[in-house]
Amino acid sequence: MSIADQALTDDLAGRRDMIVCRGVKKWFGDFQALSGVDVTVKEREVMVVLGPSGSGKSTLIRCINRLEVHQEGTIIVDDVELTNDTRNIEQIRSEVGMVFQQFNLFPHLTVLDNITLAPIWVRKRPRVEAERRAMELLERVGIPEQAGKFPGQLSGGQQQRVAIARSLAMDPKIMLFDEPTSALDPEMIAEVLDVMKDLARGGMTMMVVTHEMGFAREVADRLVFMESGDVVEVGTPEHFFTAPKEERTKLFLSQIL
Amino acid sequence: MTDTAAVTTVEAPPEPPGTSAVRWVRDNLFSSVSNTLQTIVFTFILLGLFRWVLGQVFAEEADWTSVATNMRLLMSYNYPAEQLVRIWVSAAALFLMLGMSLGAWGVDPGTSRRGVARTVTSIGVVALITRALLPVAAPAGIASALLVGGLVLSALGVAGLRFIPRARDRRLSFSTVLAGAAVVGIAVLWLVPFGRYGFADGELLAESGVTVAMSTRVPWTVVLVLVVVFHSIGRILGRRIGAAVRRLLLVFWIVGPAFIIFLVLRDPEFDWGRVARVDVPMAAGFALGGAALLFVLARPGREELARAVGALLLAFAVFNWVAAFFGWYPMLQKARISFLLVALAVLVAPTFAGERAVRLRLAGVWIGAMALVHWLITGINTPSTLEIAAPPFLGGLVLTVGIAYYVMLVSFPLGVLLSLARTSRLPIFRVLSTSYIEVIRGVPLITVLFFFSIMLPLFLPNGMGISDLAAVFAGYTVFSAAYMAENIRGGLQSVRRGQYEAADALGLTTVQRTVFIVLPQALRVSIPNLVGQAIATFKETSLIAIVGGFDLLRIANSTIPNQPDFLGQKRPALLFISVVYFVVAYTMSKSSQRLEARLQAGQAR
Repeated sequence: MSIADQALTDDLAGRRDMIVCRGVKKWFGDFQALSGVDVTVKEREVMVVLGPSGSGKSTLIRCINRLEVHQEGTIIVDDVELTNDTRNIEQIRSEVGMVFQQFNLFPHLTVLDNITLAPIWVRKRPRVEAERRAMELLERVGIPEQAGKFPGQLSGGQQQRVAIARSLAMDPKIMLFDEPTSALDPEMIAEVLDVMKDLARGGMTMMVVTHEMGFAREVADRLVFMESGDVVEVGTPEHFFTAPKEERTKLFLSQIL
Repeated sequence: MTDTAAVTTVEAPPEPPGTSAVRWVRDNLFSSVSNTLQTIVFTFILLGLFRWVLGQVFAEEADWTSVATNMRLLMSYNYPAEQLVRIWVSAAALFLMLGMSLGAWGVDPGTSRRGVARTVTSIGVVALITRALLPVAAPAGIASALLVGGLVLSALGVAGLRFIPRARDRRLSFSTVLAGAAVVGIAVLWLVPFGRYGFADGELLAESGVTVAMSTRVPWTVVLVLVVVFHSIGRILGRRIGAAVRRLLLVFWIVGPAFIIFLVLRDPEFDWGRVARVDVPMAAGFALGGAALLFVLARPGREELARAVGALLLAFAVFNWVAAFFGWYPMLQKARISFLLVALAVLVAPTFAGERAVRLRLAGVWIGAMALVHWLITGINTPSTLEIAAPPFLGGLVLTVGIAYYVMLVSFPLGVLLSLARTSRLPIFRVLSTSYIEVIRGVPLITVLFFFSIMLPLFLPNGMGISDLAAVFAGYTVFSAAYMAENIRGGLQSVRRGQYEAADALGLTTVQRTVFIVLPQALRVSIPNLVGQAIATFKETSLIAIVGGFDLLRIANSTIPNQPDFLGQKRPALLFISVVYFVVAYTMSKSSQRLEARLQAGQAR
């Protein structure tokens, strides 16, 4: 373990646990998507989840805000355990932002309404305040002039930035990204990654499923490599890209890099 | 990260090739031998059909005075003549509000000066063709009117097209078109000798060749002028305070017609002493009590309490109905309804909870709703002052339109609820709604109507009666809701999974997700089907004739042919009501296309 790794490990050890997964198992019918995942994300940490398709990365982060329901094990988000009690699920969801591969903006609402809907109706904020905050966020993701347009009138990159702003409007403690750049044309990937980097520098706790190795190397505090529903290896980017321990990790990285 | 589109010099598209009429005809009708042949054959078939229709219209045995004389009967059935001003006020209110709504929503079908010229030309040409195909039996007056009118109009139209070159063509605003149409309409009313027809003290009055009676001419003139004025008012207000005006107009379209039917047309004779002693205090109690309850319970953080109170109130409200069924204790019907409404409002209050201003508005909406509901129910329960020979005070076109409108209005929310229940995760809702929908869809409409008009009164609690029309209305609504539900379910299925997930991920509750995200998208998709169903409903109101109502069809098919003056005269009236049905249905269909285009404009994917 290098000195840098040691320093990071010490630093992380001193922080609070934001997401704790212990022995999380999940089946779709007979197919086991997660077979006992143990992962802990610390406060202000950026964790990137890597792995071949079908390895359970997306399922894992979708379990964290309960878009999927895990069948065994425990998931604790911000000290609240996820159970079948609806009220705590809505509360947790409002604390955990999620950005999807397909953006999933609401096509019948303007960009501004997309962003203010949840703050007004879930957080019960006055409309004026919600709109002011939405404009701030649009400023931050670089598209304030698009506030009055409908999602269908924007490019993919712009839509994904609106989706990020929409999640941020709820002032989440954690942001989950499910392959946020996979549906984008190459020239638009950078603009979305820039926003995410900015967010990471601002100290947001993030869990990111992505195939963008450049982003992983530059921004991630730790990487998780998953295969067939298992966590194979966890470590710093330096560890991963210079001396991965496991054979499967080496094989995957050699294919992708 | 800038998003300025690359600035390039954009080349204008080439001018469209000259679209002169001759050229269009050559390109589209006579472009090849087979095309030419088809054009000729189908033109002959079309002209032949038209000739046949004209033959029916001007057949010697067809007595059109039967329609003209019975116009009042067809429109408003036997509404007392001395009270006819109520019909005029109602019709005027609807027309004015329609004009105002068109203005407030900025509806503009868009036409240009050349467009108007083209329309005038076509009308002229159609008049000339009609003249050419006119049977010999047709009155000479009509033949010469068609000839002269056709010549004048086509000359005017062609001159217009000639003297307004394409380059100088200007768009005409909808206000201008509307004003022009009103001027033409008024001129026609005052100048064209339609003839005066009617029954005076049972005696047939027929004066052909004079302009329409003052009793129709003056009101129509006033209405036409006011429609133009209200359209402009709507446009101005729509620009200044758009959202507020549109909301008020929506409220009018939901409750306005009920007020027209039950308060204007029915003219209840209020017992003012009782109103002051019982009705007003009760309305005020429910309005203020409910408002206070909502204001307190809709505060964020009181969701649990609100749900508990709502459930309690709901239990009490349901118990009231059970008690009514067994006759345990007396209670005014509107108190029962109000308790139910309070319970439902409190139950949904947490969904719309918010800061002080939001809650004040919520309370205000409640007070307004209570005032309207109580006024309406009191009006309905008060005996009418009208002296009508036969009991149903509604009939003719008024009945057809009224029933169709309210069936659509009431079955729509029912259909939404049913479709949501059918796609719900809870099995009990799913089973209930699926069985309801399947049972109703498996039974012919006429059976449902008979069931409601004959059987329903037997099932009602003691002392609760239901008028024939209300029973028929209930039957239509129950039937229509099942079909609505299936149409909306189609829309619900088109909403993508990701939309649900995004709403969930933001922490929206199921109700919020449904109201703000899922339904708006689903309904948009369902518009064509819903309008199709609305048109079907409108036409199916003719079945009222079979269960005892006097709608357009019954009057045309059995009332008029039984009048001593017009024994056996069915054809003219049936032709006439076909045209009425067609005009209304076609208007609906056209407006739905426009609505679709408008809704899709913003959010094309």
